[in-house]
Amino acid sequence: MEKVVIIRYAEIHLKGKNRGFFEHVFAMNLERSLKGLRHELHRTSGRWLVEKFDEDRAEEIAERVSSVFGVHSYSVGYLIGSSMDEIFSAAKLVAPHEGTFKVETHRAYKKYPLTSMEISAEIGGRLLETFPALQVDVHAPRSAVYIDVRENSTALVFGSFEEGAGGMPVGTSGKGLLMISGGIDSPVAGYMMAKRGMTVELLHFHSYPYTNEGAKEKVVSLAKILSKYTLVGKLTTVKVTKIQEEIHAKCAAELNVTLLRRFMFRIAERYARQCGAQCLITGESLGQVASQTIEGMTSSNAVVTLPVLRPLVGFDKDEIILRSRKIGAYETSILPFEDCCTVFLPEHPAIRPKLSFIEEEEAKLDVAALVEEALATAEVITF
Amino acid sequence: MIYLDNAATTRPDPAALGRAQRFATENFFNPSASYGGGFAVSSEIAAARESLLKSIADPARFELIFTSGGTEADNQAIFSAAKRGNAVTTAGEHAAVERAFNELKNRGVEPRFAPVDRYGAVDGDALFDLIDEKTTLVSVIHVNNETGAVNDIATLAKRVKQKYPRCLFMSDGVQAYGKIPVRLTQDIDLYSFSAHKIGALKGTGALVKRKDLALSPLIHGGGQEGTLRSGTENVLGILDFAYAAEKKFSALAADAKRLAGYREMLWGLLDHALLTRLSPENSSPYILTVSAEGMRGEVLSRMLWEKGVVVGTGSACSSKHRFSRVLQACGLKESVLDGVLRISFSPETTEEEIQLAAKAINAAVKEFKEKL
Repeated sequence: MEKVVIIRYAEIHLKGKNRGFFEHVFAMNLERSLKGLRHELHRTSGRWLVEKFDEDRAEEIAERVSSVFGVHSYSVGYLIGSSMDEIFSAAKLVAPHEGTFKVETHRAYKKYPLTSMEISAEIGGRLLETFPALQVDVHAPRSAVYIDVRENSTALVFGSFEEGAGGMPVGTSGKGLLMISGGIDSPVAGYMMAKRGMTVELLHFHSYPYTNEGAKEKVVSLAKILSKYTLVGKLTTVKVTKIQEEIHAKCAAELNVTLLRRFMFRIAERYARQCGAQCLITGESLGQVASQTIEGMTSSNAVVTLPVLRPLVGFDKDEIILRSRKIGAYETSILPFEDCCTVFLPEHPAIRPKLSFIEEEEAKLDVAALVEEALATAEVITF
Repeated sequence: MIYLDNAATTRPDPAALGRAQRFATENFFNPSASYGGGFAVSSEIAAARESLLKSIADPARFELIFTSGGTEADNQAIFSAAKRGNAVTTAGEHAAVERAFNELKNRGVEPRFAPVDRYGAVDGDALFDLIDEKTTLVSVIHVNNETGAVNDIATLAKRVKQKYPRCLFMSDGVQAYGKIPVRLTQDIDLYSFSAHKIGALKGTGALVKRKDLALSPLIHGGGQEGTLRSGTENVLGILDFAYAAEKKFSALAADAKRLAGYREMLWGLLDHALLTRLSPENSSPYILTVSAEGMRGEVLSRMLWEKGVVVGTGSACSSKHRFSRVLQACGLKESVLDGVLRISFSPETTEEEIQLAAKAINAAVKEFKEKL
């Protein structure tokens, strides 16, 4: 009797002629998520089966599979021969010992001597004999035993359907560059784009020595958490200290943040073109802070031509926090390291900056040279 | 690298560590073992204990318990000594004492904090005013770890004992032991210190207690340290501690005098237009704390790190504990609290290093100022 993980996929079946491509990417992603664990991955009628792993790692395999986008649901169960005795011995392992239950059988192999109903009745009966505290309830059972009788004289027996990450396989919807800070929002934004199948590269801005190593370490930790979903084990950092100093020295204080963000967008776009990303992704949410007004977003968008995706734009902070917790990033996001030292923060940042004023102030800086200089500080961290 | 953050930790002395290493690799036996090897180790620990104790106290009246560090020694002393009524300490304590005093609240003991002066030394009269018949423990830090201000613990202890003979007096001596002359008087009941502040390894500390004082253990087990601190002894740490201390005490007065000179030399060389001195004139010779008003100590310390000069700071950019609790208690304003640098020396510090450090600090402060 072999323990297996059964994986069912989500939206791929919608994809008509591209289905082969989607399935190929999905399988590759499953393989990547299982890297380092002994296993075999097999495709079988509309599902994938993870087989031949060490049985005590079953939970770890299920946990890793659960965060792969494209997985609709998964089950840990048994792959066995299709005789009724074998099915029953597996059913005993997955069945509850008390409470209400039902047995549900799916029979792909139509020549099997018993019908689905008969198999369910027979196995259910034997389970009732074995566990007297069980009760049958086919309408609202507390638990269930599922049996799939397959064509090749094998059967799958499992006890539940666990919800997968949903979405589309990462790598099927192009590539984006996420500007990741140490906060709560940007990792969630990256997660959401990856969920729609986008490959997400990460770019982080720091201003050492005004920010510290701890802040950078925190972003690396967040990137690692995110990589569980995006399957990209890489983070690029760029130092914008000089830019912050120049803005502070030469430009109107209330535009400090607005101007810095324009520089970040320019640098991000340049970097995106280098790494083949087709869009920028930010964790901005409308009205959350002074720079995240529609005017602020307009002023940032004005310096780039790539589309800027803001998947959180319509979310409340509470909704973002909920998602952050779900992906396991929240506890790291709230560690007390500032990713932007308050030394240069103006007391009253401009909330609705006028583009003409911004451009006027920015003209005091050698924008091209500062962008070039910052890009030269790019450092790639892989993990 | 010019290392001037010796109040945080010191570079382990290679000679002391070399001597102690034999007890990590060859004589690795458990000191409690009943065969020869174990006995040899336990004899060496006994010698280390005696030598560390003798350096500051009379072994006829006091005994010494090894702990995992200064923090444990402080906690051991406080939770043993303050079991009822109230306990009095100062607003200038290290977190090991301050947090432990706050924990006393949960154990039914009222903690009281006496104010400090602008240099971080306790106001003796105010401390005395907080003490009453119900006070079971008074704790006063010997050398303030943030400013180097020295409290006259002998006089304070005497004053306490004259009026309240049953009240216990303890002092956290982590920044004093092996640095300034210390002699425990009969009025002092408990005194804590740490190995890694005097050229030994991290992970060892000591609590000196009056012999006839009964304490209760924090850690129960095999009964080591006279049942007060169970757990197999950190042999390497303990011996390294004793060997490093021997060296420190052999030149303590000369080192202190020379470093007091360096401290003044450094202050003399620093840019007085941009830096304010927070340490008092009569501070520990090992610490000079200054503030670059309106700047950020944390940022300055990173700028200096890049220049190869390592100094400490009194603030952190993290919003939760932006300002030092102790320096706030000194009544300093926020713009001063932000810019604190703690420069701390060791006997290895040289005159040349002082001059280079002064140049680097002046340059960093000037550079930062220009960017503001």
